[in-house]
Amino acid sequence: MNLGTRKLLDRSFTALGISSIVIMGLMLLVVLVPIVSNGIGAIVFKSTIEHRKMLYHEFNRGDKADLQREIASSDASRKEIYRMLDTFDAELSKMDETRQQEYREKFEQVKNSLRALLGPIPGDEEPALARLKYGQTRWEKAEEKLHELLFEKKWDYSNPDEMAKEYEVSRSASFEGTSLVRLFPYVEKNIDRLLQPEWTFYWGFITDSSVDAHFFGGIWPEIQGTLFLAVGAMLFAFPLGVIGAIYFTEYARDGFLTSLLRSANSTLAGVPSIVFGLFGLTFFINTLKVSESKSVLAGSLTLAIMILPTIIRSSEEAILAVPKTYKEASLGLGSTKWNTIIKVILPAALPGILTGGVLSLGRAAGETAPIIFTAAVSVGSAIGLADVLSSPTPALSWNIYNLASEHEAAAEIRHVQYGMVLALMTIVTLLNMSAIVLRARISKKLKG
Amino acid sequence: MQASSLQNCNVMNGDGNATEGRSSAFVVSARKRKLQQITRTAGESTLFLIAAFVAVIVLFIFYFVARDAVPFFEIRGFREFFTDTRWYPADEPPVFGALSIIYGSLMVTVGSALIAIPMGVAAAICLSDVLPFSVRQYVKPVIEMLAAIPSVAFGFFALVIFAPMLQNHGGSILMWSWWIMATPLILLMIVVGAELVSSRIEDDRRRKVAQRVLLVVMGALALLILILVGFRLRSIEIMTGTNALNVSIILSFMALPTIVSVAEDALQAVGRDLREGSYALGATRAETIIKTILPAASSGILAGVILGIMRALGETMVVWMASGNSAHIPEPWYNYLDSVRTLTATIAGDMGEADQVTGSARFHVLFAMGLLLLVISFVSNFISERIVVRQRKILSGQ
Repeated sequence: MNLGTRKLLDRSFTALGISSIVIMGLMLLVVLVPIVSNGIGAIVFKSTIEHRKMLYHEFNRGDKADLQREIASSDASRKEIYRMLDTFDAELSKMDETRQQEYREKFEQVKNSLRALLGPIPGDEEPALARLKYGQTRWEKAEEKLHELLFEKKWDYSNPDEMAKEYEVSRSASFEGTSLVRLFPYVEKNIDRLLQPEWTFYWGFITDSSVDAHFFGGIWPEIQGTLFLAVGAMLFAFPLGVIGAIYFTEYARDGFLTSLLRSANSTLAGVPSIVFGLFGLTFFINTLKVSESKSVLAGSLTLAIMILPTIIRSSEEAILAVPKTYKEASLGLGSTKWNTIIKVILPAALPGILTGGVLSLGRAAGETAPIIFTAAVSVGSAIGLADVLSSPTPALSWNIYNLASEHEAAAEIRHVQYGMVLALMTIVTLLNMSAIVLRARISKKLKG
Repeated sequence: MQASSLQNCNVMNGDGNATEGRSSAFVVSARKRKLQQITRTAGESTLFLIAAFVAVIVLFIFYFVARDAVPFFEIRGFREFFTDTRWYPADEPPVFGALSIIYGSLMVTVGSALIAIPMGVAAAICLSDVLPFSVRQYVKPVIEMLAAIPSVAFGFFALVIFAPMLQNHGGSILMWSWWIMATPLILLMIVVGAELVSSRIEDDRRRKVAQRVLLVVMGALALLILILVGFRLRSIEIMTGTNALNVSIILSFMALPTIVSVAEDALQAVGRDLREGSYALGATRAETIIKTILPAASSGILAGVILGIMRALGETMVVWMASGNSAHIPEPWYNYLDSVRTLTATIAGDMGEADQVTGSARFHVLFAMGLLLLVISFVSNFISERIVVRQRKILSGQ
């Protein structure tokens, strides 16, 4: 090969490496950007009057006088709609039977769309579920519902070879010639007054508990559950891990036993997380019976086992990074080995040990598989500190799965799911950031 | 305080020398010395017991998972589990054929490995040998962030964002990724190929002509292939976005950080002298890396690859949310656009119904799957550890 080709190959090799790193960075962006932007939308969004009604009724929050003024102005324009519905209802009963049947069903559809948009129609029974008590609380959802009110979705099956195609029919066209035809342009024109959208900063998303299976309200029970589980896991794993690391670095002699223990450690690190869940179920709950069924305690113990190898390994590294001279000086001054470890080595290694601990805390907070069988429930209120020994808890990671794949109306509450993912990622990222900062400070300190 | 530290000093000096001290402060009675020795031994054995706790846990995990897995094999035997592709645990009579589920696990693991290994090794090489130190500082946090994203967040991304994207624009996504990835590679192959073939011709002028002709012919051929394959890919309609391809891509990004960091460590462990020797002989950087450093670091890289693949195999949330969870072997067997079901997702998904019937084959079959995963992870961990130990020995010249 001549030199030119060799250089070309060299450059393209470099390009290959750089492009794979660029792809990794892009992937991070592709994952992060939609999650962050949509997740923020759970807290900062354009809320409608229905949102303020909900806050007032469910959480007793908001100014009563202001709210009543808004409701009054909104109701003034809503009245017109309900009057039109009544008029049409009267008109409908006068029609002949075939036309009546034709319109009855369509009329019900219109009424249901209106219920979804504005909440119950006067004369309805008081609904039991909170999701039916209020109209759309978020403006972008309200716009979708408005579209559903104005246009009917239909499927085109005319071509049997292809998949059915979706198309839309304007509802005002299908009510042509009746009194209801005026309703659609009226709602479209007055939607601002009907719903009174305004930008809101809904901090309650973080501190409120959920209302009606996450249709409204916040995610505090989940956040609290995640914190309980992660901190509980640390309480068990951290002391054990640090002591284990002290043994490995200061006391263990090279030999068969030590290498066996070390490979046990790396085996434990490689066990798939779902197997930890199985082990937690069969050992902590079914055999030791630490609690009747799922509980925070059982979940924390399972998570503790999972993060133990990481803590041991990072603590070991931190202890080994303490300069040998520290130890020698201490021993030279006549201190015992144990005294040296407690008074000299551990304080010097503490930031490094903490870094490992904080990283493991983040891992424990983000893990789902081990807590499925041991600690997590889908719906529930925040539990008190006294209940951690016996009761299960909702947790962010589990509820993200649950709301996204098993909730009956998963597509209706995407904003809650995004908000949860963002909350979880924020917790994990904050922990990681603090670990990075800690590490930077150590390396500065060690450099002197 | 001073006295006590002096005493400590005596203890430290060793077992029998304490009485050697001249001043009376150094003298420690035999009883006290014995007491101190006992405390020390007791302390050390406590430490040992705590360190041994990890080994105990590993044994416990094996024992307790196996204890609940054995009843399944007692009830149903081995053959059905490993050879039957039908998975109907709730039917009457039930069928517990896990072959299609094992195959699903294998499929997404292989798929993610195909993406993650080349990318991970290339990124590791880039980090250790190509990028200047100042850039490296910014790349490392990116990899750490990728490793820190919780698996359920990846699963949510795969299910809510990536799956609809694949379903609606699958064909064009495939076409564009084919073009973006294949075009530079094919161009490079053409240039190098033309160079290699024409270098046999001795005459200078004829060689140049031959090179140009080759370039044009092969270039036209390549363009044709690129376009034809691209349009073929574009015409593919992806029926469901929750399929093996989706999961493989996401899993590969979860396996990447492990592969990159372990492989980079292995590359760094190959000392400067090998690199400098190769440069001194006139090799370019690519030649140095491919012919000298990669072979020297290959076992370490292999260890990283095994660990990364294990992460993909053991991952639960992404596959549970985005693989489609249908227990069948895709038709044809390499069809990555079909839904699959994996071991981990089956354990997670079926336990909710099965733990009502503790003691039944339906409950224990999930532990059998757990045991299978556990054994695979144990074996591959053992292999990767052996590999690392061997490499360390080779590199230290023993």
